[in-house]
This record gives sequence, structure tokens and C-alpha cells, in this order.
Amino acid sequence: MYKELDPLLHSQLRLAIVSMLVISKRVEFTYIKEQTKAASGNISIQIKKLHEAGYVEVEKTFKNNYPKTMLSITDKGVKAFEDYVNDLKKYISPK
Amino acid sequence: MYKNDLTPEESFKIIGKAISNFKTNYKESAKIFLLWGWILTLACFAQFFILKILQSKEAYEQIGLFSIGNWVVLILIGFIIQTLIVRKINKQKKMYSYLEGYIKSLWMIAVVSIFVAFIISIKLEIAPLPIIFLIAGMGTTTTGLLIRFKPLAIGGLTFFIFSIATTFVSSEYLNLLAGAAIICGHLIPGYLLKSAKE
Repeated sequence: MYKELDPLLHSQLRLAIVSMLVISKRVEFTYIKEQTKAASGNISIQIKKLHEAGYVEVEKTFKNNYPKTMLSITDKGVKAFEDYVNDLKKYISPK
Repeated sequence: MYKNDLTPEESFKIIGKAISNFKTNYKESAKIFLLWGWILTLACFAQFFILKILQSKEAYEQIGLFSIGNWVVLILIGFIIQTLIVRKINKQKKMYSYLEGYIKSLWMIAVVSIFVAFIISIKLEIAPLPIIFLIAGMGTTTTGLLIRFKPLAIGGLTFFIFSIATTFVSSEYLNLLAGAAIICGHLIPGYLLKSAKE
């Protein structure tokens, strides 16, 4: 029996964001924008969903008088990502 | 356009792409290696000439003062320049990797170890260079392996060879050997890292 994949992670942009955060300590919003080439508004919406689920932490500061948004993954987010990858593996090689 | 109905294969592709695109720009670290490479090489060669000149003038009582002055002044200059470089790098930084944190901790411990080794060797009245080269070799080789940059790992290994070599060289030429070790272990790999493709 296949387990249903986490709908929060089973989305192209959210999965790309979480994958980046899993391998880094902290990432700036603009870096995610550069890497994903998605629109700022779209990224903000996806980050909000991830934040509401407790998967990511958002820290808003200022850098040279400009707002700076730093993102990091929470333990819950790491666990969700690990579960998602394990569930994906079952789809590819069911045993 | 971003879609939400993904196949497992597509999901793995997204994860793989995000991870492979996520590269820290280690070329920035080359600046730090070059800075300390130049500072320490300069200090070693200056020390060699200080000893030569003062010994020829038989001004033995001034050797200690000039030697300490040489090292303290150059190392202080190094720390000031490093602070400015790091501040500039952090201003442009958009992501912080775990690996950078590990490397930073590694070098902080290495600097403390070098300081302790220096005190121990004064107390035991032995040359500090073999131990200092071992610590520098560990730090440089491990950094090279962590960032997967072979020339730096090889440069680090040369410190081990120089560490053994110091035991065969007379004290008069130890500073020249130390300068050569830093050129091989830090300066050459530092320039190779600076010119490496991303």
C-alpha cells in the first residue's frame, strides 16, 4: 500500500525550496529567487505555507537599509523531508 | 511555470537539481589562504634576515626583541586585513552552508592548537616548527578534502613532509624552510583555488 505523499512538499517550487534549505544553514530569499527563477510573490506564498506548517523559519532583518529575509529549515521540516524522500523511494522501488 | 502534480521521478529530479546547484563559492576562501600565505612567508623570510643581520653585528641581545616584533606586527596586520575581508564577504553573502561552519571551527581550533604548541615548545626548549606544520597540515588537508579541491589537500600534505624536513635542517635555515613550506602549502594552492572554475 502506497503512503500518500506530503502535499506540502509534493509541489515543484516548495520541494525545490525545502531541498535547498535541507543542505544549508541559512539562505537569503534572493538566493532562492535566483536559483528557482520564480516570481517573488509566488516564492513568498510558498514560504508562507511552509512556515505555517512549521517546516521553515523566517527571519526578517535589514542589510544596508534594505529588508533582508533569511530562511532556515526546522527539525519538523527536516523530518518531513526525510519522510517524503523515503515515501518517494517506495513508489520507485516498491518492496 | 511550476506544477504541483509531480511523478516520483520528477520529485527526485527537483531535489537533485536543487542540491547540485547549491554550491558555496569557495573561491572567496582563497583570499584568506593567500593573505596568511603572504603574511607568514614574509614573516619567515624577515626572521631569517633579522637573525642573519643581528648575528653578523653580534647584537645577540636584540634578536629576541626584533623577532617578537616581526611576528607580532605581521600577524596583527594579518588579523586586521582578515577582519576587513570577512566583513566584505559577509556583506555579499546570500547563503550559509554547514560546511563553512565546520571549516571555520576547524581553523579556530587549529589556531588555538598552534598557540598551545608554541607555549609548550618554549617551555620544553624545542623547535615549535615540526608541531606547527603538523597542525597546519591537518587543517589545510582537511579543508582541501572538505571542499573537494585536490591542490589544497596536496598542499596540506606537503606540510607533513616539511614537518619531517625541519628535523634535518640546521636552525639557521629553519625560517627559509618555513617560508618554502607556506609557499607550497598555502600560496600555490591559494592561487590555484582563486583561478579555479566554479
